Amino acid sequence: MMDINKHNTHILHRFEYHAPVTVTEAVKLLKELGSEATILAGGTDLIVKMKDGSERPRHIVNIKQIPGLRGVNETPEGLWIGALTKISELENSRVIKEKLPVLYEAVRVIGSVQVRNLASVGGNICNASPAADSAIAFLALDAVAHITGPDGDRKVPFGEFFTGPGRTVIKEGELLTGISVPRDVYGWKGYWVRVARASMDIATISLAATAKMDGGVVKEIRLAWGTVAPTPMRTDNVEDYLRGKKLEQNIIEKAASLAASSIKPRDSGRSTGPYKRKVAKGFIHEALTRFAEA
Amino acid sequence: MTRKSDYVTVGKDTQRKDGVAKVTGSEKFASDLSLPGMLHMRLLKSSFPHAKVLKVHTREAEKLGAYTLTPEEVPDIKYCPRLVSTPEATYKDWRILAKKPLYVGEPIAAVAADTEEEAQLAVEALKVDYEQLPAYFDAEESRKPGATQLHDAIELKGTIINPERNIACTLDLQEGDTDAAWKECDEVVERTYRTNRRYHLQLETKSVLVKPEIDGGISVWSTTQSIHNTRLLLHEIFGLPMGKIRVYKTPLGSSFGSSIQVNTIVPIAVAMALKTRKPVKLTMTREEDIRDHVSYNMIFKVKLGAKKDGTLVVGHLDAVLDLGSHQIQAYALLGCMAGWWVSLYRLKAKSYKSVAVYTNKTPSCAFRGYGNPQVSWMVETIMDELAEKIGIDPLDFRLKNYIGEGEIFWGQGPTVKSVIRSSGVEEILKRGAKIVDWYNRPRAGNQTGRYRKGLGMGRGFHTSSAGAPVPGTVVDFSGAIIKLNEDGTVDYITALMDHGGGTLEAHAKIIAEELCLPLDNVNVISADTSTTVYDVCTHASRGIYSGGGAALKVAKQVKEKLRTFAARMLDAEASALSFRVDNDRKQGVIYAEGIKGREVTFKEIAYNARHKNWGTIAAVDSYRQPACPPHFTGYFIEVTVDTWTGKVKLDSVVAGADIGTVINPKLAAGQVHGGLAQGWSMAVMEDMSYDAKTGDLINNGNLTDYKIPYPRDMPDLEDFEVFFVETVEPTGPFGAKGIGEGALNPVAGTVANAIQNALDIRFYELPLSKERILRAIMEKEGQ
Repeated sequence: MMDINKHNTHILHRFEYHAPVTVTEAVKLLKELGSEATILAGGTDLIVKMKDGSERPRHIVNIKQIPGLRGVNETPEGLWIGALTKISELENSRVIKEKLPVLYEAVRVIGSVQVRNLASVGGNICNASPAADSAIAFLALDAVAHITGPDGDRKVPFGEFFTGPGRTVIKEGELLTGISVPRDVYGWKGYWVRVARASMDIATISLAATAKMDGGVVKEIRLAWGTVAPTPMRTDNVEDYLRGKKLEQNIIEKAASLAASSIKPRDSGRSTGPYKRKVAKGFIHEALTRFAEA
Repeated sequence: MTRKSDYVTVGKDTQRKDGVAKVTGSEKFASDLSLPGMLHMRLLKSSFPHAKVLKVHTREAEKLGAYTLTPEEVPDIKYCPRLVSTPEATYKDWRILAKKPLYVGEPIAAVAADTEEEAQLAVEALKVDYEQLPAYFDAEESRKPGATQLHDAIELKGTIINPERNIACTLDLQEGDTDAAWKECDEVVERTYRTNRRYHLQLETKSVLVKPEIDGGISVWSTTQSIHNTRLLLHEIFGLPMGKIRVYKTPLGSSFGSSIQVNTIVPIAVAMALKTRKPVKLTMTREEDIRDHVSYNMIFKVKLGAKKDGTLVVGHLDAVLDLGSHQIQAYALLGCMAGWWVSLYRLKAKSYKSVAVYTNKTPSCAFRGYGNPQVSWMVETIMDELAEKIGIDPLDFRLKNYIGEGEIFWGQGPTVKSVIRSSGVEEILKRGAKIVDWYNRPRAGNQTGRYRKGLGMGRGFHTSSAGAPVPGTVVDFSGAIIKLNEDGTVDYITALMDHGGGTLEAHAKIIAEELCLPLDNVNVISADTSTTVYDVCTHASRGIYSGGGAALKVAKQVKEKLRTFAARMLDAEASALSFRVDNDRKQGVIYAEGIKGREVTFKEIAYNARHKNWGTIAAVDSYRQPACPPHFTGYFIEVTVDTWTGKVKLDSVVAGADIGTVINPKLAAGQVHGGLAQGWSMAVMEDMSYDAKTGDLINNGNLTDYKIPYPRDMPDLEDFEVFFVETVEPTGPFGAKGIGEGALNPVAGTVANAIQNALDIRFYELPLSKERILRAIMEKEGQ
């Protein structure tokens, strides 16, 4: 049981502070310190957790002084987003707004203006909340996480990135350096939606949907959900069902029902499973109806 | 009486005297204060909802160099933190540090150290031996026969009461022949309503700073709505002479009723200061504050009957109040709830049964409206339902039955009855109806499709103060000091607290208007208990009506002295002199009309009075209002319901208010804006729920999981029309009444009626969350 006399004291515990200036140095440090180290990027999740006492790392590794990990850049393959890029920088990026509207819609509702100015996209991802707004957009955009560790670089597709609430594939000594979005998904149709208790809130349920359409027929589709399972998730079975189909009313209805039964929401203090299933149906209905329009 | 249009200062928008400090962040609230050598305090709170504290082990904490304070070290007396009622209506069941905590978060011990960090480490080093006891989170459960009694003995005016079955207090009333009246009814509606439990979420958390003085006394700066009641309680608990207790006015960051009572932390900090002989400061974290206070939770079983022609006849209300673990003002509330219930509409016979029940939850206290938002939600929705049953338009039903000018209303309950002397009800309803095109609103149940629109209306009122022609069980009087300075300005000294709504700004305008002074020449002086006369508390929407009444009374006395001095200087007949504002000279001027050269400024009067040894012009007095006139409000709210998600969107709002003469127009409109926001929040968002296993709040005290609306959840101001109707309250200063609470009271009922209009579904439990609405839609539409 949580002890109310020790929880949420607003007082930071004592820790050692490190500020490496290169990725190599950071990786070396993270490897050495192992499970006792936590990465500080924007701090909007970490500092809150430290003040409420749910995280008490002995070492804090501030990666903000490492150059080259911040910014939104177009590359021949697509879009590169540095892990330290501020959420507000994604929100204000012209290329994101034009080419990846699903991501734009997702990031602009994260926290408040102040939070978006501080929070990093890498942190939003690595915090691995099942509700993370940017995560579901990246899931729907076939994004890839770029990780550097003691053994070099590796790439992990977003579909494999999250392993549980607060957990990812990132191992001790590893660092998320950036996220890439393939050029293939540029111009896909996108629909992003969420419901929450208030305009600034953790999503009760959210959906990022993207699709490549061809004359009303679904060529490719991605349906990524927030807060319906322990991690952000895609409903592959619904995507499989829709691929190659023309989005007629009965197909849409069927897909909506399939989605409602495929997600795995639980009752919580914030909402209920039956509520989310019902809303999920409506979300799919709306997304597919929009995709069906010319 | 002067016509409103002739007023120079009253009714004009001006820059607030405290505005610059507020917007630049330089205003010092209680938690901003510090003193040299000050210790920081932290609390050890009960982790259990009901337990016996066997022992508090302090040795480890003391080893860290911290001071500790245990239940054994504080005065062993029972007290009630609210001193607004008379002793026969004040139930005492609190202890400074609990030996038998009754809610998660109840303070058991305290520590003080040089820094907050050291104090926290000391708290963590305290060990408590507990014996856990059964706990109840539902009023129906805790008053079942055989339930463990939470309080063994509580005090009422020196006598010990044994609250059996956890019943804290009861109040039953009956007026008229109800049996006969029910037989006259053609239609009767009977329903059960359950309200939510709302946290005040005032801008600042509660804080206190105590300085022990060399003479054995104490100085106190705390979050409070009443400095004098703070001093009275500290005198009662600690036995210090009143002259040695100085409680200083400290700016409030709202409050919404959460500091009507002396806050739990105040006597704890005083005990620590007296023990350590050092200044101590104790500021609650937001998570502690959330576990400190909450609104009252109510269950209403109500029955209302009317004739076919739309005449209301009779009603019965059975009210259960879940007050949580300690009484702050439950008994007074039982009376007020009756008042809120019977004062909107005429019932020739009525019966009322009420009971307040202890549970192991956060102690409930007043929250803007003091139960009226809850009662009005029930009244305004059942009125709609009854109107529908009779087949009369709900607006016409209200116009036919409302209690208006010349009629008796109960105001703050059966002991605070008075006659209504100003009423703008009809104008509010008719003007609002015209603006929203009421009679062409959608018909409930006619809409299909995903998005459905609804328009609802609701009425409300609140008493301006708890004044009355005869004394009852509520103390309500105010006082003021005004003195003339040598530069022709006046100092206005009052104990009355401004919550942030601009109450003292209104007083300054009242004084400026009466004395014919430029507003800048009225200095609002921050003072303390030793330099002010008694004011009971800023609550009950009494700030302008009662406090402003006192300011006006004293200003009139100062005016007569000015007149006398001026007459001597001008060699004129005092009664023939006139007053005017001279904005060029920035002075009040007294003159003999039509006689050139026979005029004198206030500055000249003060100058002369000093050099000729006439003395200082000053006056001090108390003032008791003879009534508690209702200010009336009416809302028309348009919503859109998304039937796929259960989310309700607030589209537009029209709010009309009769607050008598409007003293501060923009600030008065601001009260309505804030009332709407809080009412909307009550209607669709808020509820404090408890985990029956741990006894703690399900949200663990985190605001992340306690939502109120953000600006984006509110309508744009272009879609929010506020209008004031022209009335003059004969007993109010320059005809003014209150606004603070009436601005909130009708909102939840209006929202519920709008949702009913959209969906043809009525709800009997708050809040109307998206989950609750969607479930109801699915049930109705058979999904």
